[in-house]
Amino acid sequence: MILDALKYLAYVLIFPGFLFCFLTGMLLCGIDRKLVARMQKRVGPPILQPFYDFFKLCGKETIVPDAANRTVFLLAPLVGLAALVVLQLFIPVFSFTAFSNVADIIVILYLLLIPALSIMVGGASTGSPYAGVGLSREMVTVLSCELPLVLVLLAVGKKVGAATGSGLCFSLTEIVRYQMAHGSLIGNLSMIPAAVAFLMVIPGETGSHPFDAAEAETEICEGMLAEYSGAPLGVFKLNHAIKLLTLTSMFVMLFLGGIGGGIQNLVYTMGLSGGLAGALITLLNVAVLFALCVAVTVVTISFVHAVTARLKIEQIFKFYWTVVSALALISLVLAWYGL
Amino acid sequence: MFQKLIEESTGKSPWLFHINAGSCNGCDIELVSVLTPRYDAERLGFKLAGSPRHADIVVVTGPITAQSLPRVLRSIEQVPEPRCIVTMGSCPQSGNVFRGSYSICGPLSKYVHVDVDVAGCTPKPEAVIDGLALAARILQEKRRAKK
Amino acid sequence: MDFPFVKEAISQLFSKPSCAMYPAVESVAAPRYRGRIAFDPTKCINCMMCERVCCGGAITHTVEKTEEGDRITRSFNLGCCTFCAHCMDFCNHGAIELTQDYHMIATKEEDLIVSGTFLKKPPVKKPVPPKAPAAPAAPKETKAEPGASGSDLERQKGEADVKSSPKAETERSAPVLPRDDGKPVQDPAKCIYCTICARKCPAGALTVDRAAKTWALDEDACVACGTCASVCPKKAILM
Repeated sequence: MILDALKYLAYVLIFPGFLFCFLTGMLLCGIDRKLVARMQKRVGPPILQPFYDFFKLCGKETIVPDAANRTVFLLAPLVGLAALVVLQLFIPVFSFTAFSNVADIIVILYLLLIPALSIMVGGASTGSPYAGVGLSREMVTVLSCELPLVLVLLAVGKKVGAATGSGLCFSLTEIVRYQMAHGSLIGNLSMIPAAVAFLMVIPGETGSHPFDAAEAETEICEGMLAEYSGAPLGVFKLNHAIKLLTLTSMFVMLFLGGIGGGIQNLVYTMGLSGGLAGALITLLNVAVLFALCVAVTVVTISFVHAVTARLKIEQIFKFYWTVVSALALISLVLAWYGL
Repeated sequence: MFQKLIEESTGKSPWLFHINAGSCNGCDIELVSVLTPRYDAERLGFKLAGSPRHADIVVVTGPITAQSLPRVLRSIEQVPEPRCIVTMGSCPQSGNVFRGSYSICGPLSKYVHVDVDVAGCTPKPEAVIDGLALAARILQEKRRAKK
Repeated sequence: MDFPFVKEAISQLFSKPSCAMYPAVESVAAPRYRGRIAFDPTKCINCMMCERVCCGGAITHTVEKTEEGDRITRSFNLGCCTFCAHCMDFCNHGAIELTQDYHMIATKEEDLIVSGTFLKKPPVKKPVPPKAPAAPAAPKETKAEPGASGSDLERQKGEADVKSSPKAETERSAPVLPRDDGKPVQDPAKCIYCTICARKCPAGALTVDRAAKTWALDEDACVACGTCASVCPKKAILM
């Protein structure tokens, strides 16, 4: 009983939880910044720059505006962080899952909303007009991303559900297990539009270029973050970094889960077994996951950031509800007819 | 150890906030040129922040006109400690050619403590980088003194 | 939608960045860059021309009276300077130079002040009165010049007219010689009394009356800077 509790504590605090999220998320963010700089012909900041930024912000004075609701203002970033850490627990690392459930995709969908909500609530509590403008834009961005995201998850769920004979599959663990046995879903012709749609959703959900109208620092002083300073701002920056990790690892699990099977086979053919093999598999899983996350970040965030300019808010809405939703719908329809 | 980390990081990630207090735009353009691919101050950790609440270094250009003075002081007050104030160009230090005008309230050092002066009209981007690097060192010292 | 920078971004990712790695790699300013002022106090004659032409009012001086003479400290406040190089251009003795040094970073205001001190000895002629035979020369010249020309109109026509008049010819036979103490002398045969020299004189030592055709030098005020000689359109002032 106590051992179980300790195990779960370790899950929350160390491995798929806080520490893992903190380190990998920040590293992803640093790699992203470096690559954007390189694509723009610059040298760019050191890869550890997000860590420096975070620790510096921890040492700064925290100013709470007079007009703000103190409790909400200070709690909002922590709520967002907690939601993201919990969210990361539900995303399997190939064969390893901290918490598995029959319908974790639905939990993930709701948890994915909380960071966006926390930043909105925190911004709104300050009463700053910049936060007001940013809030309305963030709301629209989240709404426009939500429809294609749900459609993609439905398409994947239907595809796996049809194959396993359970109708609609809402368990990410189940989806990964299916892929480890039958190969990655991206190798499936009907799933390619969904994968492309999910890649397009990633920059929108994380609020990076060109979908960063909500945090346009040159126009509206970073929107909802305008009044934040010191450690709470650092936590929001951390939230952004973890969100990067969450969404990219979700993509890897949804469409590239088959690689986990490959790792397992590789370790077993090496003739290892028992605890050593398990440890090696977990280690390799984490390494491969991180490498794939970096690859996805480079394609969807850094590259897109380097070649596009910021879109207007109605353009974001139009883009997601037409192009991206259509792609996701094609996949859903194909999956529905068993292709 | 955490304190040590913070202290190390303070000098490595100074974020800038730029205030134009009636400048002719020469210094503003040179400051932005420091962030372009040619000079790329981001490789030293500098970043232009959108809001004074995020900033560590306040860069003031222009001769502090009567209209801008209360806004400049309010913006500077909103920058969280530890902060560093850098005047760029001759105008905020003395008023330069505008000195003696009825609408000029400068120099800035009359109102707040100025940490670093970057002279020049306008300073070369290299000189601006020098000044900002010095300001980052001063930030680190301030953090050390505060602890 | 159209992405014109896709190719550029990918090619840049695999090529060298175009950064000037400034703090690591020292960079030199362009030739004739106008940076930090270098002041050579040994060349300065305290003509004050630089202070007059400085648009930012960056140049000041302090005078300290000592037994040997006046100790003059001229200081240039770089925090007030526009680096227009007017002072350098106007300095007849080359005492001011704008160097290529652009590192002008200061934490205190004093760090931005360039200054130099020099000793200005009292005028030599005062203790030695016989050395001033040149001094009466100036009034003589001013006295002589009404005879140099016929009428105002004739004078305004220019030098050619003056040459043609026989009176002028006789005047020219006694050439005006430069003074040995470095102060200006007017050549009445060439002077057209345009008053430019009086206006440009940084010490205010010249008085020129256009109507009365007089040119007078205040011996004590003159610092022998040479500005009047260099601005004279007719080259009528000898140094």
